[in-house]
Amino acid sequence: MSKKGTPTFVMQRASAVILAPLAIWFLWSLTVNAGDDFTAARAWLSDIKNALLLGALIVVGAFHMRIGMQEIIDDYIHGRLRGALLALNWLAAIAIAAVTLLSIATVAF
Amino acid sequence: MANTTPANRPLSPHLQVWRFTPTMAASITHRIFGVGLYTGTVALAAWTGAIALGAEAFAPVGAFFASPFGNFVIFGYIWSLCFHLLAGIRYLYFDSGRGLGPKTATQTSIAIFAGSIVLAILIGLAALAARGAS
Repeated sequence: MSKKGTPTFVMQRASAVILAPLAIWFLWSLTVNAGDDFTAARAWLSDIKNALLLGALIVVGAFHMRIGMQEIIDDYIHGRLRGALLALNWLAAIAIAAVTLLSIATVAF
Repeated sequence: MANTTPANRPLSPHLQVWRFTPTMAASITHRIFGVGLYTGTVALAAWTGAIALGAEAFAPVGAFFASPFGNFVIFGYIWSLCFHLLAGIRYLYFDSGRGLGPKTATQTSIAIFAGSIVLAILIGLAALAARGAS
Protein backbone atom coordinates (compact mmCIF):
# COMPACT_ATOMS: atom_id res chain seq x y z
CA MET A 1 0.00 0.00 0.00
CA SER A 2 2.93 2.34 0.57
CA LYS A 3 3.07 5.34 -1.80
CA LYS A 4 -0.20 4.31 -3.45
CA GLY A 5 -2.50 5.85 -0.86
CA THR A 6 -3.66 8.87 -2.84
CA PRO A 7 -4.41 7.13 -6.17
CA THR A 8 -6.27 4.39 -4.25
CA PHE A 9 -8.30 7.02 -2.39
CA VAL A 10 -9.20 8.74 -5.66
CA MET A 11 -10.04 5.45 -7.45
CA GLN A 12 -12.34 4.42 -4.60
CA ARG A 13 -14.22 7.73 -4.83
CA ALA A 14 -14.35 7.70 -8.64
CA SER A 15 -15.77 4.15 -8.68
CA ALA A 16 -18.26 5.16 -5.96
CA VAL A 17 -19.54 8.02 -8.12
CA ILE A 18 -20.03 5.62 -11.07
CA LEU A 19 -21.67 2.98 -8.84
CA ALA A 20 -24.22 5.29 -7.19
CA PRO A 21 -26.54 5.69 -10.23
CA LEU A 22 -25.99 2.03 -11.22
CA ALA A 23 -27.03 0.95 -7.71
CA ILE A 24 -30.23 3.02 -7.95
CA TRP A 25 -30.98 1.48 -11.37
CA PHE A 26 -30.36 -2.03 -10.00
CA LEU A 27 -32.59 -1.51 -6.93
CA TRP A 28 -35.34 -0.31 -9.26
CA SER A 29 -34.83 -3.31 -11.60
CA LEU A 30 -34.84 -5.73 -8.68
CA THR A 31 -38.14 -4.27 -7.50
CA VAL A 32 -40.08 -4.26 -10.76
CA ASN A 33 -38.84 -7.72 -11.81
CA ALA A 34 -39.31 -9.48 -8.47
CA GLY A 35 -40.71 -12.99 -8.87
CA ASP A 36 -39.46 -13.48 -12.44
CA ASP A 37 -38.86 -17.10 -13.48
CA PHE A 38 -35.93 -18.36 -15.59
CA THR A 39 -37.45 -17.40 -18.94
CA ALA A 40 -38.24 -13.87 -17.77
CA ALA A 41 -34.84 -13.45 -16.07
CA ARG A 42 -33.05 -14.63 -19.24
CA ALA A 43 -35.13 -12.27 -21.37
CA TRP A 44 -34.25 -9.43 -19.00
CA LEU A 45 -30.52 -10.20 -19.24
CA SER A 46 -30.78 -10.53 -23.06
CA ASP A 47 -31.85 -6.90 -23.29
CA ILE A 48 -28.64 -5.12 -24.29
CA LYS A 49 -29.37 -2.14 -22.02
CA ASN A 50 -29.74 -4.40 -18.97
CA ALA A 51 -26.70 -6.46 -19.96
CA LEU A 52 -24.49 -3.38 -20.23
CA LEU A 53 -25.74 -1.77 -17.01
CA LEU A 54 -25.48 -5.01 -14.99
CA GLY A 55 -22.03 -5.66 -16.46
CA ALA A 56 -20.92 -2.15 -15.47
CA LEU A 57 -22.40 -2.55 -11.97
CA ILE A 58 -20.58 -5.82 -11.31
CA VAL A 59 -17.25 -4.95 -12.96
CA VAL A 60 -16.98 -1.48 -11.38
CA GLY A 61 -18.39 -3.03 -8.18
CA ALA A 62 -15.64 -5.67 -8.19
CA PHE A 63 -13.03 -2.91 -8.63
CA HIS A 64 -14.55 -0.91 -5.74
CA MET A 65 -14.95 -3.83 -3.35
CA ARG A 66 -11.41 -5.08 -4.01
CA ILE A 67 -10.11 -1.73 -2.70
CA GLY A 68 -12.55 -1.71 0.25
CA MET A 69 -11.68 -5.24 1.32
CA GLN A 70 -7.95 -4.48 1.00
CA GLU A 71 -8.46 -1.52 3.36
CA ILE A 72 -10.08 -3.84 5.90
CA ILE A 73 -7.30 -6.44 5.53
CA ASP A 74 -4.62 -3.73 5.91
CA ASP A 75 -6.33 -2.46 9.06
CA TYR A 76 -6.90 -5.71 10.91
CA ILE A 77 -4.68 -8.46 9.51
CA HIS A 78 -0.92 -8.64 9.63
CA GLY A 79 1.71 -11.34 9.38
CA ARG A 80 1.74 -14.13 6.83
CA LEU A 81 -2.03 -14.33 6.49
CA ARG A 82 -2.17 -10.80 5.09
CA GLY A 83 -0.46 -11.62 1.78
CA ALA A 84 -2.64 -14.67 1.22
CA LEU A 85 -5.82 -12.71 1.89
CA LEU A 86 -4.75 -9.86 -0.40
CA ALA A 87 -4.10 -12.38 -3.19
CA LEU A 88 -7.43 -14.10 -2.55
CA ASN A 89 -9.15 -10.70 -2.64
CA TRP A 90 -7.63 -9.95 -6.06
CA LEU A 91 -8.59 -13.41 -7.34
CA ALA A 92 -12.18 -13.04 -6.12
CA ALA A 93 -12.59 -9.65 -7.80
CA ILE A 94 -11.16 -10.88 -11.11
CA ALA A 95 -13.23 -14.09 -11.01
CA ILE A 96 -16.45 -12.15 -10.32
CA ALA A 97 -15.81 -9.77 -13.22
CA ALA A 98 -14.78 -12.60 -15.58
CA VAL A 99 -17.75 -14.86 -14.77
CA THR A 100 -20.17 -11.96 -15.17
CA LEU A 101 -18.79 -10.71 -18.48
CA LEU A 102 -18.62 -14.22 -19.92
CA SER A 103 -22.19 -14.99 -18.79
CA ILE A 104 -23.58 -11.75 -20.12
CA ALA A 105 -21.81 -12.22 -23.44
CA THR A 106 -23.24 -15.76 -23.71
CA VAL A 107 -26.78 -14.62 -23.01
CA ALA A 108 -26.87 -11.28 -24.82
CA PHE A 109 -24.97 -12.08 -28.04
CA MET B 1 13.24 3.36 8.44
CA ALA B 2 14.34 0.94 5.72
CA ASN B 3 14.13 -1.99 8.13
CA THR B 4 10.54 -1.32 9.12
CA THR B 5 8.42 -4.28 8.13
CA PRO B 6 4.65 -4.07 7.63
CA ALA B 7 4.16 -6.27 10.69
CA ASN B 8 5.60 -3.53 12.92
CA ARG B 9 3.19 -0.89 11.77
CA PRO B 10 0.42 0.03 14.18
CA LEU B 11 -2.97 -1.48 13.38
CA SER B 12 -6.23 0.43 13.60
CA PRO B 13 -7.72 0.60 17.08
CA HIS B 14 -9.98 -2.36 17.56
CA LEU B 15 -13.71 -2.15 18.11
CA GLN B 16 -13.77 -2.79 21.82
CA VAL B 17 -11.85 0.38 22.73
CA TRP B 18 -14.46 2.65 21.14
CA ARG B 19 -17.27 4.33 23.07
CA PHE B 20 -20.57 3.86 21.25
CA THR B 21 -21.56 6.93 19.21
CA PRO B 22 -23.81 7.22 16.12
CA THR B 23 -20.80 8.26 14.01
CA MET B 24 -18.75 5.18 14.94
CA ALA B 25 -21.82 3.00 14.41
CA ALA B 26 -22.24 4.48 10.90
CA SER B 27 -18.55 3.93 10.17
CA ILE B 28 -18.43 0.26 11.19
CA THR B 29 -21.83 -0.46 9.60
CA HIS B 30 -20.50 0.99 6.33
CA ARG B 31 -17.65 -1.53 6.49
CA ILE B 32 -19.75 -4.51 7.57
CA PHE B 33 -22.41 -3.82 4.92
CA GLY B 34 -19.59 -3.34 2.40
CA VAL B 35 -18.46 -6.88 3.17
CA GLY B 36 -22.10 -7.98 2.88
CA LEU B 37 -22.31 -6.39 -0.56
CA TYR B 38 -19.08 -8.20 -1.51
CA THR B 39 -20.90 -11.47 -0.75
CA GLY B 40 -23.99 -10.18 -2.55
CA THR B 41 -21.93 -9.43 -5.65
CA VAL B 42 -20.56 -12.99 -5.60
CA ALA B 43 -24.18 -14.19 -5.48
CA LEU B 44 -25.12 -11.84 -8.34
CA ALA B 45 -22.24 -13.14 -10.47
CA ALA B 46 -23.41 -16.72 -9.69
CA TRP B 47 -26.94 -15.70 -10.71
CA THR B 48 -25.76 -14.40 -14.11
CA GLY B 49 -23.62 -17.54 -14.51
CA ALA B 50 -26.62 -19.78 -13.81
CA ILE B 51 -28.72 -17.93 -16.41
CA ALA B 52 -25.97 -18.39 -19.00
CA LEU B 53 -25.72 -22.13 -18.19
CA GLY B 54 -29.43 -22.72 -18.73
CA ALA B 55 -32.72 -23.61 -17.04
CA GLU B 56 -31.39 -26.70 -15.29
CA ALA B 57 -28.46 -24.91 -13.68
CA PHE B 58 -30.70 -21.97 -12.79
CA ALA B 59 -33.34 -24.06 -10.96
CA PRO B 60 -31.53 -24.39 -7.57
CA VAL B 61 -30.34 -20.75 -7.70
CA GLY B 62 -33.86 -19.52 -8.47
CA ALA B 63 -35.31 -21.77 -5.75
CA PHE B 64 -32.84 -20.38 -3.22
CA PHE B 65 -33.73 -16.74 -3.92
CA ALA B 66 -37.47 -17.59 -3.89
CA SER B 67 -37.22 -19.31 -0.47
CA PRO B 68 -37.91 -17.43 2.80
CA PHE B 69 -34.19 -17.46 3.60
CA GLY B 70 -33.41 -16.28 0.07
CA ASN B 71 -35.91 -13.44 0.50
CA PHE B 72 -34.19 -12.53 3.78
CA VAL B 73 -30.82 -12.48 1.98
CA ILE B 74 -32.25 -10.25 -0.77
CA PHE B 75 -33.73 -7.89 1.82
CA GLY B 76 -30.35 -7.75 3.59
CA TYR B 77 -28.72 -6.95 0.25
CA ILE B 78 -31.27 -4.18 -0.42
CA TRP B 79 -30.78 -2.61 3.02
CA SER B 80 -26.98 -2.90 2.74
CA LEU B 81 -27.00 -1.26 -0.68
CA CYS B 82 -29.30 1.57 0.52
CA PHE B 83 -27.12 2.18 3.57
CA HIS B 84 -23.80 1.94 1.73
CA LEU B 85 -25.14 4.31 -0.94
CA LEU B 86 -26.35 6.94 1.55
CA ALA B 87 -23.21 6.56 3.69
CA GLY B 88 -21.07 6.82 0.56
CA ILE B 89 -22.76 10.09 -0.42
CA ARG B 90 -22.14 11.30 3.15
CA TYR B 91 -18.44 10.44 2.81
CA LEU B 92 -18.20 12.26 -0.51
CA TYR B 93 -19.70 15.29 1.23
CA PHE B 94 -17.07 14.89 3.98
CA ASP B 95 -14.37 14.78 1.27
CA SER B 96 -15.46 18.26 0.20
CA GLY B 97 -14.43 19.40 3.68
CA ARG B 98 -17.99 19.99 4.86
CA GLY B 99 -20.25 18.34 7.42
CA LEU B 100 -17.38 17.31 9.68
CA GLY B 101 -18.50 19.10 12.86
CA PRO B 102 -19.51 16.69 15.65
CA LYS B 103 -23.12 17.85 15.67
CA THR B 104 -23.66 17.62 11.89
CA ALA B 105 -21.73 14.34 11.62
CA THR B 106 -23.89 12.80 14.36
CA GLN B 107 -27.13 14.04 12.78
CA THR B 108 -26.21 12.76 9.31
CA SER B 109 -25.15 9.37 10.70
CA ILE B 110 -28.57 8.97 12.36
CA ALA B 111 -30.22 10.18 9.14
CA ILE B 112 -28.53 7.52 6.98
CA PHE B 113 -29.59 4.75 9.39
CA ALA B 114 -33.20 5.97 9.41
CA GLY B 115 -33.23 6.77 5.68
CA SER B 116 -31.78 3.41 4.63
CA ILE B 117 -34.27 1.46 6.81
CA VAL B 118 -37.25 3.39 5.39
CA LEU B 119 -35.95 2.99 1.81
CA ALA B 120 -35.26 -0.74 2.24
CA ILE B 121 -38.75 -1.39 3.67
CA LEU B 122 -40.41 0.60 0.85
CA ILE B 123 -38.38 -1.27 -1.80
CA GLY B 124 -39.13 -4.61 -0.10
CA LEU B 125 -42.88 -3.88 -0.03
CA ALA B 126 -42.84 -2.70 -3.67
CA ALA B 127 -41.00 -5.89 -4.68
CA LEU B 128 -43.56 -8.04 -2.84
CA ALA B 129 -46.36 -6.16 -4.62
CA ALA B 130 -44.64 -6.60 -8.01
CA ARG B 131 -44.17 -10.32 -7.35
CA GLY B 132 -47.83 -10.66 -6.38
CA ALA B 133 -48.89 -8.90 -9.57
CA SER B 134 -46.72 -11.00 -11.91
